[in-house]
Amino acid sequence: MRYLFLVLFLFCGTAYGQKYMTEEGRAVFLSDAPLSSFEGESDYLAGLVDLDQNLLDFYLDLNTLKTGIGLRDRHMRENYLETEEFPFAEFTGKLQEIPELEMNQEIPVNAIGKFKIHGVEREIEVSGFLTRVAKDEVQLDATFEILLSDYEIPLPKLVFYELAENQKVTLSANLKETK
Amino acid sequence: MKKSLLTLALFSLTIPLFAQLERKLVNENMPVELTFHAPRHINLLTVEPLDKKSMHFAIMHTFGPLDGGIENLFGLDNGANIQFSFEFALSDRFSAGVARASMDKYYHIFGRYHILQQTQNDNTPISLSFAGGGGVNSSNYDFLPEAPPNFAERTSYWGQLMIARRFSSKVSIQVSPMFSYFVDPREIYQIEGDQEFYLALGLSGKIKVTDRSSLTLQWIPNLNSDLSNNLGIGWDIEAGGHVFQMYFVTSQSLNEPYQLAAGNGDSPWEEFRLGFNVNRVFATGRKKTKY
Repeated sequence: MRYLFLVLFLFCGTAYGQKYMTEEGRAVFLSDAPLSSFEGESDYLAGLVDLDQNLLDFYLDLNTLKTGIGLRDRHMRENYLETEEFPFAEFTGKLQEIPELEMNQEIPVNAIGKFKIHGVEREIEVSGFLTRVAKDEVQLDATFEILLSDYEIPLPKLVFYELAENQKVTLSANLKETK
Repeated sequence: MKKSLLTLALFSLTIPLFAQLERKLVNENMPVELTFHAPRHINLLTVEPLDKKSMHFAIMHTFGPLDGGIENLFGLDNGANIQFSFEFALSDRFSAGVARASMDKYYHIFGRYHILQQTQNDNTPISLSFAGGGGVNSSNYDFLPEAPPNFAERTSYWGQLMIARRFSSKVSIQVSPMFSYFVDPREIYQIEGDQEFYLALGLSGKIKVTDRSSLTLQWIPNLNSDLSNNLGIGWDIEAGGHVFQMYFVTSQSLNEPYQLAAGNGDSPWEEFRLGFNVNRVFATGRKKTKY
């Protein structure tokens, strides 16, 4: 029985062949309304790409998003994202097909999973690229769009800046292999 | 024993299979934000900070007493005391401002420093700021039979601590012990008091009613004068970059020294008047959108 434990333990250890992580990926959203367009960005995207388990797990502390105007950031946190109650945007899912990564080749990938923001979770599909940039490093780039109304984020009516209903999100993360 | 070992082994196997990342805040001590809608709340300054390099512009008005009725359009005909105020944030903690009020043609410089900011995790339970300033009455007193006051005699100074807590997303309260000092409080100035030194306790309250508007309250009991106490009640509306503040208040004064010395009539009911502030924060050095 002791051996079984050992075997299981070893198996456990070897199961993480291709697991990549980051805590400083980049996330950018673009709000492109007809009269006013602005971006918010953060360099605190945390992510895990586990090609053995086929698990993708990303989250962003929404408090770190900056649009360049402090008051707008505060209103965004307080009135729209309500970050005190819902501090994170999260995506957990898997790749539709696990790619064979070749050095410096952009491989298109598709992911399906649950995206959660403002306390609302929805199934989404995201397409992007995975690139092996070093022996122990992969680069992930992805773009997707979210509708604010899907996540019960109200559009402001009486304001002097416009918020687009459709927000374009761009992720870019350099993930390092971890054991 | 063996069974438990096996369970343990199986358990240790299952954890990594479904291991998600642990959700961690980048800054555990996130400050509480928007304790008040603006750096001004009715007439008093608040603990609400400005971001470095941004500028807060406030235009404030108070009109004549309501009791003139419709004949004077509830005080609007009596002429307004208007104050323009510009406050620049030199850092995230310190800002300096200039203001000019029509009452006694008063020019005013002031500073505001944020010592503590309440945090969302309550490690710091309150926000604490200090503000102080001084100004000069620039009215022309050449018509007086006696010699007009010299520059020093026209000046007055003030200081206040602001202790605030956002108790919930709906309710915020600020307590501001404040003083003001008039070098030579002459009768010709538009103040009721004849003391040089005034002490008072400013109380500001905010009760959020809808997502972007709040009921606002102000009460400034005087601690060392017989003047009646300042009372204000109003409504704040946040509209993107602007905060509109409409209120009824018992004093026409708009700056701190006059707030404590100018008086509030014999009873609030005869001195209530309409007031209106527009607050706007301008960001300088703002990032351009690339697309």
